[in-house]
Amino acid sequence: MTDRRDEFSPDASSPPLEMERREFLRLAGATAALAGLAGCSRQPKALRPYVVPPDGWIPGAKTFYATAMPWEGFGRGILVETHEGRPTKIEGNPRHRDSGGSTDAITQASIRDLYDPDRSAAPVRQGTVASWADFSQDWLPRWERLRAAQGDGWGIVIEPTTSPTLRRLIGEWSKAFPKARWYQHTALARYDRAGTQEDYRFAAADVVLAIGSDFLLNHPAALRYTREFAQRRKIDQGRLNANRLYVIESAWTVTGGMADERLVLAPSRFEPVLRAISDGLNGRDDFASLGETERDFAAKVIADLRRVRGTGLCLAGPEQSASVRTWTELANRLLASEGRTVISGAAMRGDGDAGCAGGLAELTAALNAVQVRQVCILGANPVYTSPNGSEFREALAKAEYSVHFGQYLDETGEGCQWHLPESHYLEAWGDLRGYDGTLLMQQPLIEPLRQGKSAIEMMHWLTTGLAAEGYDIVRGGYSVDEETWREWLNAGVASGSGGLSRGGARGPHALFDIESGTAKHESGSIELVIRAEPYLRDGRYANNAWLQELPRPFTSLVWDNALWVSPEMAQREKLATGDVLRLTVKNRSVEAPVVVVNGTADGCAIAELGGGRRRADGSGKGGGFDAFALRGESETERWLGRAAWERTGRSMPLVQIQTEMETEDRHPIWQFAAADTEHLQPREDPAISLFPTPPPGSPAAASAPVHHRWAMLIDLSSCTGCSACVAACQAENNTPSVGKDQCGRGRHMHWIRVDRYWTDGGTRSAPQPVPCMQCEKAPCELVCPVGATVHSSEGLNEMVYNRCVGTRYCSNNCPYKVRRFNFFDFRAPRESPLHLQENPAVTVRARGVMEKCSYCVQRIDEARIASEREHRPLRDGELRTACQQACPAEAIVFGDLSDPNSAVLRRKRERTHYALLAELNTHPRTTYLARMVNPSV
Amino acid sequence: MSDRTHRLTIADVNERISGVVLDFPKPKVWFIGFAASFAVLMLLLVAIIWLFTKGVGIWGINIPIAWAFAITNFVWWIGIGHAGTFISAILFLLFQKWRTTINRFTEAMTLFAVACAGLFPLLHLGRPIYFYWLLPYPDTMGLWPQFRSPLVWDVFAVSTYGTVSLLFWYVGLLPDFATLRDRAQRIWVRRVYGILSWGWSGAGRTWKHYEKAYVILAGLATPLVVSVHSIVGMDFAVAMLPGWHSTIFPPYFVGGAIFCGFAMVLTLVIPMRKLYHLEDFITLRHLELMAIVLMVTGWIVTYGYFSEFFTAWWSGDVFERYAQVNRALGPYKGSFWAMVFCNCLAPQVLWSRRMRRCVPVLFAIGLIVNVGMWLERYVIIVESLHRDFLPSSWGMFHATFWDWATFVGTIGLFLTLIFLFVRFIPAIAMAELRRQVAQPGEAS
Repeated sequence: MTDRRDEFSPDASSPPLEMERREFLRLAGATAALAGLAGCSRQPKALRPYVVPPDGWIPGAKTFYATAMPWEGFGRGILVETHEGRPTKIEGNPRHRDSGGSTDAITQASIRDLYDPDRSAAPVRQGTVASWADFSQDWLPRWERLRAAQGDGWGIVIEPTTSPTLRRLIGEWSKAFPKARWYQHTALARYDRAGTQEDYRFAAADVVLAIGSDFLLNHPAALRYTREFAQRRKIDQGRLNANRLYVIESAWTVTGGMADERLVLAPSRFEPVLRAISDGLNGRDDFASLGETERDFAAKVIADLRRVRGTGLCLAGPEQSASVRTWTELANRLLASEGRTVISGAAMRGDGDAGCAGGLAELTAALNAVQVRQVCILGANPVYTSPNGSEFREALAKAEYSVHFGQYLDETGEGCQWHLPESHYLEAWGDLRGYDGTLLMQQPLIEPLRQGKSAIEMMHWLTTGLAAEGYDIVRGGYSVDEETWREWLNAGVASGSGGLSRGGARGPHALFDIESGTAKHESGSIELVIRAEPYLRDGRYANNAWLQELPRPFTSLVWDNALWVSPEMAQREKLATGDVLRLTVKNRSVEAPVVVVNGTADGCAIAELGGGRRRADGSGKGGGFDAFALRGESETERWLGRAAWERTGRSMPLVQIQTEMETEDRHPIWQFAAADTEHLQPREDPAISLFPTPPPGSPAAASAPVHHRWAMLIDLSSCTGCSACVAACQAENNTPSVGKDQCGRGRHMHWIRVDRYWTDGGTRSAPQPVPCMQCEKAPCELVCPVGATVHSSEGLNEMVYNRCVGTRYCSNNCPYKVRRFNFFDFRAPRESPLHLQENPAVTVRARGVMEKCSYCVQRIDEARIASEREHRPLRDGELRTACQQACPAEAIVFGDLSDPNSAVLRRKRERTHYALLAELNTHPRTTYLARMVNPSV
Repeated sequence: MSDRTHRLTIADVNERISGVVLDFPKPKVWFIGFAASFAVLMLLLVAIIWLFTKGVGIWGINIPIAWAFAITNFVWWIGIGHAGTFISAILFLLFQKWRTTINRFTEAMTLFAVACAGLFPLLHLGRPIYFYWLLPYPDTMGLWPQFRSPLVWDVFAVSTYGTVSLLFWYVGLLPDFATLRDRAQRIWVRRVYGILSWGWSGAGRTWKHYEKAYVILAGLATPLVVSVHSIVGMDFAVAMLPGWHSTIFPPYFVGGAIFCGFAMVLTLVIPMRKLYHLEDFITLRHLELMAIVLMVTGWIVTYGYFSEFFTAWWSGDVFERYAQVNRALGPYKGSFWAMVFCNCLAPQVLWSRRMRRCVPVLFAIGLIVNVGMWLERYVIIVESLHRDFLPSSWGMFHATFWDWATFVGTIGLFLTLIFLFVRFIPAIAMAELRRQVAQPGEAS
């Protein structure tokens, strides 16, 4: 976090006055207009050239601004890189603990949505493009009447949020319209229980039992959890303080992939196993009802949790049933973990806000009962994200007046009389709270490109009937002085905020048990586990091509979601990946393609939400199946269920980027047990060259010029395989998305990929990020007939796009297959706004040239220039590659081997260090630390 | 030399061979054949236009299989060319007189095959307009080709081969053009052949110079037979890919090239001798000798396959072993076993003298070997690439319509050129044959 500090320190690049900042944003809007977006800014303004630039403005230099990104209503602190007012790249804000300077794939990809040409551009009245003025004219008389009637018959739907301003506005609105009702709708999980939320301290946890919880990816604090968890997996100068992760789950999750001991269970078996564990912890070993593997697992968990009193941690995913979640609370109490590894505090998100009239079910009832006659839906897409979409849509049609406010003209927008465009979060003023409670300031990076308003502006308008600037609304809520306010904006984080209050013990230990399981096995049906799509979430990112094309962990699927089934079931029922099944829940049925995934509980099917969007443009359309229809209404039926299934006899092509996940005796992953750490022998470098490297001190070595020698180290022990690096690389290096068809033909363009292999007979899964190895003896360089790929004095294997004629021989000769070829012109159309996202420091590649990871050579150059300007050597850690910066596990280390104190050199001296395919004598600069596993013995 | 050839006279030779050109017998058959070939050539044109419009993505290639049809076709066509040079140059230097009746035809085949082959390295480039960057020309930026790359060696090897083949063929044609000039009835035909014969006078001095030049060119062409396909073999051998990284490739590729080339000669000569009643010239003995060459080179190829398996096993290297096992048992095993059938098993029928003298069998074997040798290159290229070192990057290749269109299109180009050749150029070297007819003793 040293390298970005200067860019948002209080006195470096901050605009001196608030007015000047807004002036700057106007200019930024003008830039966008100049760049071909004329007509998209909010109102006509004079174009102003940069004759007199804002103070401190350096043309061509990138500037970082701190803001916050909403993730299911929770805030994540981010820094946004801008070029001449054009945001291009998102990094994590190190001042926000939940980010710690890292990001996830969704955050990285969200920059693309800003420039998405399919984002809603104007208000739409019943399918016809209108204007905000039209809407205002239509709405205001109605609003006046509503005010007179104290809001009788008016309903608002909003997604639960942590934003203090938005929650304040909802309160004000309720006060102004006492008879109106507001509803909250979220398609995904609630992270609170009865107004409290749990926060975990993985740094302190020696033994973790995770029950159906994907806390490393699918959680608002996942980045912090990943960082803290990964810290306990790293070998550091031969020392290891390893934690142990037990996972009970029905199918692989990123968290399950990190498990030391993993138990694959159908949800119906969770409760018997948990009961046995709680019995064991209470001192009554009774494994009679358990199978062999279950018994084994339970015994290990019991022994381990007993051993580590106070530093154990049990957690259940927010999707788990109330009894399982209660079980974990009680277990933590029994293990004296409360307050040490698990901390309870007031819920940050307003799911349980007083005054809320309920959720979608209540709204549907109210609409059908004509109690709500005018409805405004803010942000949510309930027609798509409700199990009974058509039912809700019919209810919605009964409303006298319906307004949808959202970023896309989606299923709900289509079902409403009015659709109004919402601004992207990078275009809006606001505030959010992190899961840890930190108050985050959200400031816009650019004027709205597409006539959008923010939810805050909209809510204010609905309340007062007056339009106001988002800035004034947000600023008005804080009575801090100007200096503090500016500090907050600079840092992106309100000083002194955050930290959950610690809850006390809440009950006796004796109740520690679980209601007995009531699972019964029915033939012809299958247990359903429903979960959020890892990258599309509830489908809201379906239009993001980067996310659609990000290979999913474990399946490597792109562009489609599919129903996971176990290999046992596939064999029994003769199913193959791609076969389409018809699933029926109650009277709703869905056709879903099957993907066979090792490590899935037999008799279970895993359905991921977010696919099969019916109304979406561009990238979002079509892909996958809609799992919402498989959902029930009740809290438990939202995530678990039972479905009848039958074959359709059809199959559809699914695209998996990595088709072979067995290692085939190739040992790409080296694995060691934590218990063996002391006895590890360093792997010897194979000396197979006819021309050995000169020994140090010899004349040949002395004559070699001293240069930077860039190198990368990837710690497989801490990598979770979340793919944030892949998305970060794509954003940094202008890598195109190529679409499902091209992916299916093996032409995806990612410069770094996350391979995944089954290890230990398929009971474990090991991710392995593979960027270019930057071989010292690069096979690709030898075979290029035109010298388009050459070695730099600093050891970079460089690709000269201008010189490339496209023989592709380099790729054939690359043992790591990290090179990517532009088989077609994969660039966005010339007039596409997507070009505005592109990094100006990186060439956009043309058709017919090869490309590959450059170790972010543009960042190396930038850091070098900065150091030369200041007449100082480059500092270790000053420059980070995009993948390294994004990685929440800090698994990627990059630096200079010529610097004897560099972190990369230090870590490469670990005994677990190895090079991929070292026997080929390519001398890769990118190397790995072996994957640590810590099984219970 | 068969008995019937002995009875030929010099007049027979002149009349019957130049008659094919000057009298244009069986125009209907020729026109139908030419039109069909030309239509296929037009398919190539469409394929190339589409390729240049859209990019090489219209083919099925991908990462990891970045080379497939284009390079397979390239190696195949180059291989076909080899028989021509082998027959004309090496057999000439070895005084194998039986080559006389087929050398002209096979040289033409060489030339046309090289023309087809030469297309592919250009077409397969991602940016074909910059093909000339592979040539060593002094450019303003001081950039040269990267001479360590076998693709640069290819440029030299193939262009040299093409040039020498053209010269050799043309020099051999000079006296025959003169014969045509002398025998032509129509004035403009005479003029055209007159120009092509470069004022051939038939004087002793002309013959002397001609024969010297021919021997020198034969000497020049001889090492090329070995070098060209060795270098093409090095395209693969130099790479570190399992299945390519093999020192046996250069000789094994040369053997394969001659094998394939002789098969193509059989495929083309048999219908032609039938069509133009040239059985007197291209006799069963010629066909039988070619069949023997086919069998010998077939065994060289078979040995190559065996040796690849053996060295992979002997090396103990997991990648090499897997590459070989994957060839035989992997997803492309069909291609592999088809190749084994075509190249190793099918030619074994030629052990029987009866079969060697049975024209339809020879024709069929020729076709089978051609298919087999195409499959061999496909097996080497695609099956090695599709599963290399890291299982994570394994992939599959599926040929597209445009892959096939480009390949079949070059067959159209080849046949079109062959039809033009038999129409306008004497398909048998009259000058050489005349000498053999005049001095029958020397040949035997």
